[in-house]
Amino acid sequence: MICTTNVTTTKSSAHRALRATTVATFITAAIAVAGCGSVNTTYTRTTPADSAVAAQTRVNDLFQQIFLTAKEVRMNRTKGGPMEVQIDVENNGFAYKTFSYRFDWVDTAGNVIPSQLSVWKVTNVPSGGSTVIRAIAPSDDASDFRLQLRQSES
Amino acid sequence: MLATRLRFVHPTRVIFHHTQRTIHTTMRIRSVIVLLPIALLAPVACERARYVDTGSPEGVITVGNVDMQDILKASSGMLESLAETGVLKTAKNKPAQLVMGEIVNDTSSRFDVGEMTYRMREQLVNSGQAAVVTTFGNTPEDKQAQEVLRREKFLKGETSEPLPDPDFSLTGKITQVKRSAGDTKQVTYTFRLTLTNLRSGLEVWTKTVDMTKLGNKNAVGF
Repeated sequence: MICTTNVTTTKSSAHRALRATTVATFITAAIAVAGCGSVNTTYTRTTPADSAVAAQTRVNDLFQQIFLTAKEVRMNRTKGGPMEVQIDVENNGFAYKTFSYRFDWVDTAGNVIPSQLSVWKVTNVPSGGSTVIRAIAPSDDASDFRLQLRQSES
Repeated sequence: MLATRLRFVHPTRVIFHHTQRTIHTTMRIRSVIVLLPIALLAPVACERARYVDTGSPEGVITVGNVDMQDILKASSGMLESLAETGVLKTAKNKPAQLVMGEIVNDTSSRFDVGEMTYRMREQLVNSGQAAVVTTFGNTPEDKQAQEVLRREKFLKGETSEPLPDPDFSLTGKITQVKRSAGDTKQVTYTFRLTLTNLRSGLEVWTKTVDMTKLGNKNAVGF
């Protein structure tokens, strides 16, 4: 009986040890995943900016949409005259994200204004962090934009 | 005797054949083990030539050289800054008259600086934001046009120099900072441009665009 008890105790100790090890492993893994280049962000603004505009997104890559989100889109007229757009992009995933983006500007008639400013640019966002991607319109005639975003496979 | 020999030889041959077959099978398995990964990797290694958009992220990215993506990003950044500040709108001439000064490539990467400047010129001139003076100075870009202008001025009896009256001069420099840790290399290419008001001699606009690349081998982008 004592022996059985002892065995039972040993078993439960082993279970507890195993459970503790499992929990510790999970916590360590979670810390490791979250800690690998992740960023904690502090900001004071809690409401949309005055220049914030509504934007529509057509999602073709759901994975990209889940982890990379455009939080706010702002449009202003610059000192020089053309429009400027700023988009806050947040990385809600656990990994460092590299993505490329390109702005195409359109006039009031909806036609794309061909320009040397519309090029693919690459940027990175650490896990939990955010970045601001911005673009300046090629001329004063540009009234709207289209943004294309491609995420790196790595 | 002969029969005995035959009987004796025959099983040996069978055994020999069997061994040979086993060796063949083993060799075949080994060949499959060796060739299978090669066959699987072959489509990756043998990438067929195809067209990609110029400056596309799909293009080749090198660690030790300035790539087309970098040039396009630099020219785009410069143009954005020029448009944003509206400095060209402050010129006396409408559109602003611009002289292309010297832009030095001070990097170990060999490329034509014109790849950047001509793209900028295309945007500025074709959109009517600026006009580039190609007949200015002692080393004009268009010597023939300058000669024609001088001849016409001479025939009209005008002696005052020069006919084009540019507002700004564009100069610049491209530099690099290279560092490495073990096999990993890091290089930062910095594109700097400066716009000088030719009437006041003062710098009225300047812009820096940085490009940092890190890795130990060149790669095809995504």
